[in-house]
Amino acid sequence: MSDIFVPWRKRPPRHDAGPSGLVARLAVGLYRIGSPIVRRFPGTLFILASTAAILATGAIGYGMYTIYRLSEMSLPMGPDAKPATVVEIQERLSQLGLPVPATVVWCFQSSLVRDVVALLGIIAFVSVLAMFAIWWERKVSAHIQSRLGPMRVGGWHGWSQSLADGLKLIGKEDLIPTEADRPLYRLAPYLAFVPALAAFIFLPFGAYWVMRDLDVALIILLAVLAIEVIGVLVGGWASNNKWSVYGALREACQVVSYEIPMGISLLVPVMIAGSLRLSDIAGSQQGGWFHWLAWHSPWAFLAMFLYFIASLAACKRAPFDLPEAESELVAGFHTEYSGFRWSLFFFAEYAAMFLVSGLLVILFLGGWDAPWAGLDDWLGRALGWHWLISLSQSQNPYDRLFHGVFFSGPLWFIGKAMVLVYVQLWLRWTLPRLRIDQVLYSCVQVMLPLTIVVLVASAVWEMAVQEMPGFSVFASLISPVIAFIGILGCGSAAAAIITGTIGRRALVGTMAVERPLRGG
Amino acid sequence: MPHGSPITDPILTSQGLLLVVLAGIAMALGALLIGKLLRRNVPHGVKGEAYECGEPAVGSSWVQFDLRFYVVALLFVIFDAEVALLYPWAVVFKDSGWSGLVDLLIFLGLIVVGFAFLWRFGYLDWIRSIRAQTDANASE
Repeated sequence: MSDIFVPWRKRPPRHDAGPSGLVARLAVGLYRIGSPIVRRFPGTLFILASTAAILATGAIGYGMYTIYRLSEMSLPMGPDAKPATVVEIQERLSQLGLPVPATVVWCFQSSLVRDVVALLGIIAFVSVLAMFAIWWERKVSAHIQSRLGPMRVGGWHGWSQSLADGLKLIGKEDLIPTEADRPLYRLAPYLAFVPALAAFIFLPFGAYWVMRDLDVALIILLAVLAIEVIGVLVGGWASNNKWSVYGALREACQVVSYEIPMGISLLVPVMIAGSLRLSDIAGSQQGGWFHWLAWHSPWAFLAMFLYFIASLAACKRAPFDLPEAESELVAGFHTEYSGFRWSLFFFAEYAAMFLVSGLLVILFLGGWDAPWAGLDDWLGRALGWHWLISLSQSQNPYDRLFHGVFFSGPLWFIGKAMVLVYVQLWLRWTLPRLRIDQVLYSCVQVMLPLTIVVLVASAVWEMAVQEMPGFSVFASLISPVIAFIGILGCGSAAAAIITGTIGRRALVGTMAVERPLRGG
Repeated sequence: MPHGSPITDPILTSQGLLLVVLAGIAMALGALLIGKLLRRNVPHGVKGEAYECGEPAVGSSWVQFDLRFYVVALLFVIFDAEVALLYPWAVVFKDSGWSGLVDLLIFLGLIVVGFAFLWRFGYLDWIRSIRAQTDANASE
C-alpha cells in the first residue's frame, strides 16, 4: 500500500533516443510538411487521391485481364471456372517467348494469388469498416442527441477522428493490472478479434466474391462467430476486476441464450432454399425484390425480425448491451483494457455487426442484388437490346463493371448491410437498456417459443405449398402482399430520413434551435 | 441460379482458415509491437490497481457465481444440440415430403415437453422468490 500513497513521482526527462525517437521525429516532420498542404488544398487532394486509386484499380484489373487474354486462358470466373495450374501457365508463357521458372510462376498461381488478394481485401475492408463505423456511430449518436460529434480532425466533419484515435491508441502506455492473470489477459483480445476476421472468409460479397465458398457456410460462419464470446469471457475474467467479471458473465449468459432463437430462425431460409451454402441461398433470390425470401411467406417475414433481434443480442448491441453497460458496470468486460488491446475488442464488435447484418441481407434480403436486379434481362428483351440481355454473363470487364454498379454486385451487398448497421446504431441511441432478468425473460419465454412456432408453421406452410395446389395459389397471393408491406416499410423509413434531413434544425454551437440565432 | 461448385475439400477450408487466423494474429501483434517501440513506459503502483471507482479493491473478484447461469448453460447445450441436428433436416426438408414434417414434430415435441416442464415449474425465471418456492414445496 505504501507505494500508492507516495507523492507523485516526477516525470522522467524527455529523451527521444533510439528507434522510437527516430520514428516520432519522422512523424512530426512529416506532419509539419504535410499539414499546410492538406489544409490548403483538401478538395483537390481528395479528388487526386480517389482518381489515382480508381485508375490504379482499373490498371491492375486491366493488366490481369490482358495477361489472361494473352495466355489464352479463360478468366477464373463463371460457372465452369478452373484455376490454371502452374505447368499450364508456364507452358503458355514459354509459348509467348517468356521462359519463367516454375518457382516464380508458383507465386502467381491463380488460386494462391486469389487467396492473397482476398485476404488483403478482407483485412483492408475490416479495418476501414471499423474506423468508419466508429466515426459513424459517434456522428449518429451526436445528431440523435442534438450534438455535433467529432468536427475537427481532418476537416470535413472530423472524418479522420478514428484514424487519429487509432494512432493515439497504438502510442498509449500498455497497462496490465498487477492482480490480473497476465497470459489470459493478453490472449483475450486475439480470441475476440481473430474469429470476427476469420468469419469474413465465408461471407460472400457477390456471386464469386468469396474466399472460401463452402457448402456448409452458414453453420461454420455462426460457429466461428460464436468463438468471440470466449474472448470476451476470458478478458473479463482475467482482468480480476469485479465490473469485468460481471460484464463477462452477463455476456456469456446472454449470447449463449440468444444463440438458440438465432439458430432456429435461420432454419427458415435454409428450409426454403434447401441449402446451407450462402451463395446458393442468395442465388435463389435472384430476379428482383419480390423474389427475396423475406416476403416468401408470413413466417419468413417474422423469422427475419426474430433473427434481427437475436443478432442484436449476439453482438451485444443496445438494448442488449449489458456486458459493457456504461452506467452500471463502468465499461463492463473491458474496464481494465486500454490502448490497442482495448481497440481490438471494438474491431471485433463492429466486424461482428457487419457480419450479422450481411447474413440477414444474404438470407432474407436478396444478397447482392439490386431491388430491380432482373430488369436488365427484361428490358433487353422488351427493347431488343442484346448487350443488356447478356450483361450478367459477359466476360468483358466494362460490361461486368456496369452490371455490378447498377444491377447486382458487392456494392449493393455492402450498401444493404450498412443500412442494417445504421439501424443497429439508431436502435442503440434510441432504446433504453434492458435488465439482465428482462433479457433472459425475453429470450427463453418470448423469443424461443415464438421461433419454435415460426419454425413449425413455416414447415407446414412450405409442405402445403408443395403438396396442395390450392394452397400454393393462396400462398402466391399472400407473398406479393407481404412484399408490398415490406417495400412500404422501407419506403416510409426512407421518407422519414429525407423529411428529417430537409426539416432538420440548425445546430448553433452545441445547442439545437429552430432557426439560426442572430450573430451566431 | 448455381454459382460454380462449392468447396467441400477440408484441406482447402482449413488452409484458408489458417491463413486468415495467422493474418489476424499478425495484424494485432504487429500493431502491439509497433506500439511497444513507440510508447513510453512509466510504471506506477496506482496504475496497476483494479479499477473500483477510486476505492482500493477489496479481495479478489474470482468468486463463485449464481447457479442460474448454470441453468441457462444447460438449456443452451440441449437446445443448441437440437438446432445443430435440425440443420441437415432443413436442407433435405423439401424432398422428404410429409414424413419430414412428422419427424420434425416428433423431435421438436420431445424438446418442447421438457421446455414446458422447465417453464411450468419456474426454472426459467430469473427472479425466484423464496416464498413462491416454499409454497410450491408445501403444495407437493
